[in-house]
Amino acid sequence: MFWIRQIINGITQGSIYALMAIGYSLIFGKLLLVTFAFGEMVVFGVFVSYYLYAIVGLNLFLAIIIALPISWGLGMLVDKICYEKFRDEPRFLMLITTIGFGIFLKSFTQLIFGTGYRSYPNFIEGKIIVGGVRITYIQIFIILTTLLLLYGLNLFFKKTKLGVGIIALSNDLDAAKLVGINVNKSIKFGHSLGVVLGVFGGMMMVSYYNAIGASMGPILGLKAFTVVVFGGITSLPGAIIGGFTLGILENLSVATFGSGYKDIVAFVILILILVLRPSGLLGKKIDLF
Amino acid sequence: MKRTTLILSFIFILTISLSMGVLAQTDTVKIGLSAPLTGDYAEYGENFQYSVQIAADEINAEGGIRGKEVEIVVRDSQGNPAQAAAIAQEFVNNQDIVAEIGDFTSTACLAAAPIYESAGMVQLSPTSSHPDFAPSGEYMFGIVGTQAVEGPFNVKELALNYLGLDSSAVIYINNDWGVATMENFVASAERNGLEITGTESFMEGETDYSAILTNLERDNPDGIYIAAMYQEASQIVREIDRMDWDVELFGPSSVFSMEFLKLAGEAGEGFVTNTIFYWEEDRAAVQNYVEEFEKRAGRRPNLHAAVAYDSMNILADAIERGGFDRSDIRDALAETGEYMGVTGKIKFTDAGDVVRDYLILKVVDNDWKVIE
Repeated sequence: MFWIRQIINGITQGSIYALMAIGYSLIFGKLLLVTFAFGEMVVFGVFVSYYLYAIVGLNLFLAIIIALPISWGLGMLVDKICYEKFRDEPRFLMLITTIGFGIFLKSFTQLIFGTGYRSYPNFIEGKIIVGGVRITYIQIFIILTTLLLLYGLNLFFKKTKLGVGIIALSNDLDAAKLVGINVNKSIKFGHSLGVVLGVFGGMMMVSYYNAIGASMGPILGLKAFTVVVFGGITSLPGAIIGGFTLGILENLSVATFGSGYKDIVAFVILILILVLRPSGLLGKKIDLF
Repeated sequence: MKRTTLILSFIFILTISLSMGVLAQTDTVKIGLSAPLTGDYAEYGENFQYSVQIAADEINAEGGIRGKEVEIVVRDSQGNPAQAAAIAQEFVNNQDIVAEIGDFTSTACLAAAPIYESAGMVQLSPTSSHPDFAPSGEYMFGIVGTQAVEGPFNVKELALNYLGLDSSAVIYINNDWGVATMENFVASAERNGLEITGTESFMEGETDYSAILTNLERDNPDGIYIAAMYQEASQIVREIDRMDWDVELFGPSSVFSMEFLKLAGEAGEGFVTNTIFYWEEDRAAVQNYVEEFEKRAGRRPNLHAAVAYDSMNILADAIERGGFDRSDIRDALAETGEYMGVTGKIKFTDAGDVVRDYLILKVVDNDWKVIE
């Protein structure tokens, strides 16, 4: 019983990691844009929806629907500032620009939305009890959303011109240019899509935990980064499997060894995977730098 | 004649401007404030800044300290111990600064303490409750009371007397303060016959508490002692609520805040803690402070804001008696008699901290109520 509950806890946490990792994997894995401002962008976007809901007084779903295009705009802005000028430069430059922008965005979020934590409402209340194990509807909703997004993105990359273009430029940038893909436009589109997916995942996460704070950003970004590296940088299903695996492993290590070992166990496994399979669980080998 | 007038007027202007410069220099007394204005503890840092400034403005309205206007020099430590140490270095090198208030976390205070100590400048922390802080040097003072006193109070008065528990689990934040809070609670519990079924820690910035709470629930304790700041505590009680775990909730005074009520909602109902400051206390000093704070910050002050207000006032009192010399201020501060602040009676022990009288608070109908 205890173990089943810990595994369920792990699946829930894993599904949140996976949800965050989808957007991250799109930006980092498909577009090969190094980003360390992801968590901060997510928190900003979620705060916009919080503001529209709690201060302006809109309906929660309306607030979310308005916040997503604003997040899209933020994605465009970050591309303009952090990436556009540096497309042909070494990638560690993006590391610097995004770290810098992340620090700016976190402080900016604190300035506008305040420094404390805010209470974020539940999308869906209620829970079911299966054989003595409680499962809340929002847990189920998060898992379904993760799978749905994965399916949708898969279609996008296979069936749409933009999606195929992004895959092409991630495989070979120069060849993609040669066959007439508008690289600049595709990267802008993909980056903003990644940010919006991240923000959407973030909304679900804070709705589950009922709290949002400007300081949550960096750790979110770091977890998403870990999950994506773990699952395979280039692979979206890998990111999702990585998310679930990391969530379950973390919770099982807490259950076995106590809370002090949560990150140790997770990162030891991460290091082992990277030693044995440097491109992650499902990833292909790529040249990042 | 004309030339003499010119020279005379030049000398006159020079004298005036120089004396104005000297006056400007001697007109103010500078106090350093090191606080986390950005980062995870930004809200506490803001509370420090509001409170210390309110106290300074009131002192200045009454004519300042020994005729000098108080000026607060604020620096942002980001809650980062290394940054707190760098700020300490800047403050001690600035000869105009006579004493320092800060920082917020015990960890940051402890990191900066050796610098203030060797330079001989008072470091008065409003909030450090780590039992090692004040004894770490001659110039270190803490006014919030220490976990060495609060821990036993929480065991005897909250857990045993008020809640009538036989056993308790402990969940604590893994930093200097959290570990000291847990250790003092557990040590006192063992002496007083409260069974500790398990202890679990979490790192700063954690969002998911389900795994550690499931671990603690397995031993079926009567209560759970939540040694955390109010943000984390509110998420922990929400998770306990989601788990449908029926357990008595209690914790140290760090949880006492209006924000806790907002963040925890119904899940926080019945939470028991203690405080040395209560905003409905019927004293003029308390009511004036609460009103002024609400006007400036747009929220009610919590305990951590109130001790910052008292810190500035008690420091001003010491400077008034001791003068502007850094070590004279230290001696005057140590000799402070029984000072009555908005957080109650303050009298320093030989080590430089304060033994406090605590009130019991409980969340009833989503509001903090004092239990008589």
